[in-house]
Amino acid sequence: MAISVLVVDDEETFVQTLAKRLTLRRFNVYTASRAERVFATLSENLIDVVVLDVKMPDLDGIEATQTIKNSYPLIEIILLTGHASLEASLEGMKRGAFDYLLKPVNIDELVYKIEDAHRKKELQEEKIRRLKDESNDPSGEVGPVD
Amino acid sequence: MSALTWLQRLVGRFRGTPSEQPDPEAARNLFQRRYHALRLLLAANTQALSAMAAMEQAAIKGGGFGMTFVRSHCTAVGVNVFKMVRNLDILAPEKYTLLFDRLEEIQHRIDDDLATIPTPGDVPHVLPMAEIQHTHIDVTGSKMATLGEVANVVGLSVPGGFVITTSAFDRLIAANDIQPEISRLLQAYQSEKLDELFVLSSKLQQLILTAEVPPEIADAIVAGAEAAEPAPYSTFALRSSALGEDSAGASFAGQYETLLNVRRSNLVASYLEIVASTYTPQAMQYRKRHGLREDQVAMSVGCLEMIDARSGGVVYSGNPGDDRDSDIYISSAWGLPKSIVDGRFASDLIIVKRAEPPTISSRDIGDKRNQFVLHPREGVRRADVPDAMQRQPSLADHEALAIADAAMKLESHFGTLVDVEWAMTHAGDIVILQCRPLTQLRESTDRSLPADTPKPLISGGVNASPGAAAGPVHWVTRDMDALSFSRNSVLALVQPLPRWAALLDRTAAVVAEEGGIAGHLATVARELGVPAILGAGSLADLENGFEVTVDASGRAVYAGTIDALIEQRAAHPEQVADSPVRRTLRTVLTHISLLNLVDPKGLDFTPENCKTMHDITRFCHEQAVREIFAFGTETKFPEYASKQLHHNVPMQWWILDLGGGFGQPVSGKYVRLEDIACKPMLALWDGMVAVPWDGPPATSRRGLASILFEATANPALASPFKKPYADRNYFIISEHFLNLQSRFGFHFTNVEALAGPRLEENYLSFSFKGGAADLERKAARARFIGDLLAELSFDTEVIEDVVNARRTSLDHQDVEQGLRVVGYLLMHTRQLDMIMADRAAVAHYGAKIRADLTQFI
Repeated sequence: MAISVLVVDDEETFVQTLAKRLTLRRFNVYTASRAERVFATLSENLIDVVVLDVKMPDLDGIEATQTIKNSYPLIEIILLTGHASLEASLEGMKRGAFDYLLKPVNIDELVYKIEDAHRKKELQEEKIRRLKDESNDPSGEVGPVD
Repeated sequence: MSALTWLQRLVGRFRGTPSEQPDPEAARNLFQRRYHALRLLLAANTQALSAMAAMEQAAIKGGGFGMTFVRSHCTAVGVNVFKMVRNLDILAPEKYTLLFDRLEEIQHRIDDDLATIPTPGDVPHVLPMAEIQHTHIDVTGSKMATLGEVANVVGLSVPGGFVITTSAFDRLIAANDIQPEISRLLQAYQSEKLDELFVLSSKLQQLILTAEVPPEIADAIVAGAEAAEPAPYSTFALRSSALGEDSAGASFAGQYETLLNVRRSNLVASYLEIVASTYTPQAMQYRKRHGLREDQVAMSVGCLEMIDARSGGVVYSGNPGDDRDSDIYISSAWGLPKSIVDGRFASDLIIVKRAEPPTISSRDIGDKRNQFVLHPREGVRRADVPDAMQRQPSLADHEALAIADAAMKLESHFGTLVDVEWAMTHAGDIVILQCRPLTQLRESTDRSLPADTPKPLISGGVNASPGAAAGPVHWVTRDMDALSFSRNSVLALVQPLPRWAALLDRTAAVVAEEGGIAGHLATVARELGVPAILGAGSLADLENGFEVTVDASGRAVYAGTIDALIEQRAAHPEQVADSPVRRTLRTVLTHISLLNLVDPKGLDFTPENCKTMHDITRFCHEQAVREIFAFGTETKFPEYASKQLHHNVPMQWWILDLGGGFGQPVSGKYVRLEDIACKPMLALWDGMVAVPWDGPPATSRRGLASILFEATANPALASPFKKPYADRNYFIISEHFLNLQSRFGFHFTNVEALAGPRLEENYLSFSFKGGAADLERKAARARFIGDLLAELSFDTEVIEDVVNARRTSLDHQDVEQGLRVVGYLLMHTRQLDMIMADRAAVAHYGAKIRADLTQFI
């Protein structure tokens, strides 16, 4: 099944171009250019990987990373930024981002990151499924996510 | 339940006991997650090391990079090091959490250093000159940032005006959506042919010239012109200021367009012309020659007040052709400095000696019949110099001394020798038009001529770029001549115009009838190390195809090839430039690239001792491989346990398959070579057995298998007891990955390679240490191997008896080819340390190894 990717950026042209290029690479692409659409899309669809601009007028990408990971711990997030900052990038990684890329985006590099992020998610899902099957624990505790 | 207890439970279950069998599916999942973590860790290691290498290169070479480069590379290193620590934490949960703290401490130190240079905020499309300083280099290019610094920090006079920033360039390209087409055309161009380069250049320039300038940029340009100080002036000089331009060793002198006398109404159209000159053939050749990336080109444009100069020229704060000469060289002509930088007309050369006070030591007054002047209606045009002024100095002594003083001030501020274009107004004021680092060459100290040197065909002119070279004469007076210019010819010119710089890449030497040391062509010739004699007078004796030796240092041209002279005159580029950005880069590198953890067996190889990003990468890499090895050797589940290699006999190598390394599931203790599907391992093996070893000692009659067996035989390995990681010979493999940790005889080797479908992530690294001989001979062998690998395009480092070699961004076939070479070297250099004192033997084996490699690669 195709990997589902949600691309989030307030620059409409950027979002559309990136969506087109990712679709050509056989990804199932959703887009959002406003904060409200991000959470609506996540709740309405099974998203594997979010590609998220760090700096949007109505959304702080670093905080959004934490919020998304709190609600959907298995979804992997790749942060994008136009302005490199070591401090901000490491903060994003600490809050659970899978990776951090600088614009302009090299499409091959982004594709690799999405594939790697998806593979990680797949293995986590398999682990949880297996532990749930095995577990007699009614609480459903299945251990941490890597 | 904590992550640790949970994993302990799972691992305990996975490892199994006689009473508790492991669940094969859980084991498989755990194994795959660990393997995935290892793969991500190794990819992050490659990216972190590449970013560090790029930073070190920039710090060594200097260049037109700004804080954007420094910040983005610090970020790339930091993010990838974080990923390594996080993935090591998956491989060994909660065992190395201290590394997170170490990383954070290093990050704070880097942040503190980076904070010394503020980040420009959101960049407008236009910036007034009065606001620009050197820190704006990322948005105004080096040329305009430096000019802003000259005015606003050093306090010298520069033309007023404004700069159209790289933000406007990015917007222009994005709004017209032409980047994909530019990238496509550039990627499709693989040719070395000049005519195809000209066609490509024309297509790229057309793309830009036909682009629409977005209204917000056009409006900003008009507003910038209206606000320009000192108002009012009606025409502008438009000068390119590309990122990377004017840096030390890469001046781009004259490679981009400059438009003079541009009216306000034409500013927008002229802006496009300058942007289009990003893709002139000479600029593209120049970038290629200097290893600058086409996709990182961004052009900003200075729109400056036109200065109506009485005299103009160039001052060098040192002799560009001789680093032993600290005199100040002023080239000057009547009118605008264009006649000097274009190298067209005769000029004056005034030399000022650095003394207290500085004094004029020499005046060479040219016969200046022509000049360029600023005409109120016609703009810049050529004019005759009145007879009475032709032999008069274009600068009075006190003016020359004032220019020398300005050059010394700039040299002191920028911390490097400078190359400054200046204008003297009719009121006698000095205006600085451009300032850049001066490329200086170290002149050969030997000025004598080899015995039997014939009488020169031509002598005289100026040594515009020292050295000597030979080749057939090729006259170039028009573009058609350039198209047929063949490699290693001697470029013969009447006028050394900047546009012929596109040929310098393939030129042995330059001779020109006109011109001087300060022209753009001379500057580029010096950067490329192409010997050049300019202003030589009539070259009528040089016919096309005639083989000559040009001795620029001796200012002479000889018939035929004189090898002894060429060798004697060898010149070396000397780069001394510095800048606040480069200083910052060097400071942050002390937290990034220094390596303190060198010995994995050392007691200090701990997270506590990780002081730099490089230390953390080294530690994570080493521990990750150990952890995966421990996981594979301690597991009770046979599918994931390491196997002993069996090839005719049981070999002293154990193999751990991370996935896809075996062609089919292997049960039992042994794995046979024919079961191996890991292509990197098979390639390495191919290299190991490609050529029988006939060096000392002679090949055993028992055959290759026993030699391979012996190769790993070491007293320490004979013990029947379980060995720790570092004392065992093993391969960790997957379908595309190989890590070999092995002892061959008395030396220790590590080979690691990734040869998958992702070219950017592929790499091959090889480390080699030790031997049975004394340190001197072991070190000699390390240098011997290092030289061989360097010849084969490895990035190689040799420290005493240790060789570290690495190649990156290769396709899988190239990685496999590299592994064959490494495999061969493993077998054929293992005892060479014993013969390293014997020069003849070293030469013999060097020749044999090169011949073998040529044959089987």
